[in-house]
Amino acid sequence: MLSFNVQIKPGSPAYEQVVYAVQKALITGRLKPGDRFPSVRQLSQELRINPNTAHKIVAHLTAERLLQVEPGIGTVVQKLPAGSSQDKSVLLNKDLERLVVGAKRLSLGLSEVTRALEKHWEKIS
Amino acid sequence: MSQPAIYAEHLSKHFRSNEALKDMSFSVPTGSIYGLLGPNGAGKTTTIKILMNLLTANSGRAEVLGYPSHKLNWRGFRKIGYVSENQILPEEMSVTELLAYLKPFYPNWDAKLCGELLAQLDLPADRKLKNLSRGMKMKAALLSSLVFRPELLVLDEPFSGLDPVVREDFTRGLLGSVVDSNGTVFMSSQDVEEVERLCDWIGIMKPGHLLISEPLDQLLRRFRRIEITLASGETPKIDWGQDIVQAERSGTTVNLVHQQFAGAATLKELQERFPHASTTEDFPMTLREIYLAVARVRTT
Repeated sequence: MLSFNVQIKPGSPAYEQVVYAVQKALITGRLKPGDRFPSVRQLSQELRINPNTAHKIVAHLTAERLLQVEPGIGTVVQKLPAGSSQDKSVLLNKDLERLVVGAKRLSLGLSEVTRALEKHWEKIS
Repeated sequence: MSQPAIYAEHLSKHFRSNEALKDMSFSVPTGSIYGLLGPNGAGKTTTIKILMNLLTANSGRAEVLGYPSHKLNWRGFRKIGYVSENQILPEEMSVTELLAYLKPFYPNWDAKLCGELLAQLDLPADRKLKNLSRGMKMKAALLSSLVFRPELLVLDEPFSGLDPVVREDFTRGLLGSVVDSNGTVFMSSQDVEEVERLCDWIGIMKPGHLLISEPLDQLLRRFRRIEITLASGETPKIDWGQDIVQAERSGTTVNLVHQQFAGAATLKELQERFPHASTTEDFPMTLREIYLAVARVRTT
């Protein structure tokens, strides 16, 4: 059994879906710093995904410093690193802009969006 | 790049007047899991049989692990596992007897792996093969193809008719072995969802032809469904061109399948074609949707 939850859906790369699920699990505390992270073999078998995809997932999370390979132990979950100012800027400008465009297109009001945002914020902490 | 595990060039095969394969060329990169999709009768099994030297092509050539396929013999088969849907097994033997019988043929036989797979695949070692269910027989065939750590595993419709539990055992065994031996897998299947999860290279056939052969990532990126909402009354006449494989219109909505989607550039181009469109939206497609779009349009 994996310590994080992911239902892989067809149509978007499994790689992105699993990376997102792990990030979410770290933020919600389902995965904690010091936890063992599954090997490429386990990841591939448990999720029934291509081993090359599983390898890419581990490599990506390691590059993001969410995982680290510790000799003799395996791959271990790390503390969430402080986000770079560039990442923060992308989120606060680009990603939020996209949300605002989407909301306006659907004629949603600011208060509706804020309320929904607050609900998600509480759910994930 | 290293030599591909399988390489086929202009393969053609006919059975009397029936053209089963026409000018089929593709390659399977070493280390990939390649899924060959296509309807019944598309020529998937014929392709596999030519690669495995069970049929001879009328023209063209293929190489498997560097061997010309028409010369593939026991030497090559020590490195190739082959499981077909209608595998013929010695029915009077038990699983253990089958394994003992096969072992001397394979210098790389891994007895430890054999024990692990027997347990993992949940196979009754002492029951005669004739008394096993279809799923169990497929697992026995897979086991006997994995224990010598093949460089290439060729599977013809491995999932058809397997119940979900057997299917799960089967894929686990397969994936574990791929990771451990860093092998290549070439499989034909009708199961698009399973192929989308397991494979990183996709081939799509329509009868006799290979329409697509490329990495799954690339395929998912370049195919996109696009929905355009037209201003009412607008009835543009359009030359769809090469990039649009499917177009349907109902009322003021036009649904396209675009096969060379390049993000903003494509959307801009479409907006120029439909200057009065009120919205243009793009949606990712599943492999199933891509398969259907490709198979429908080009099969006439």
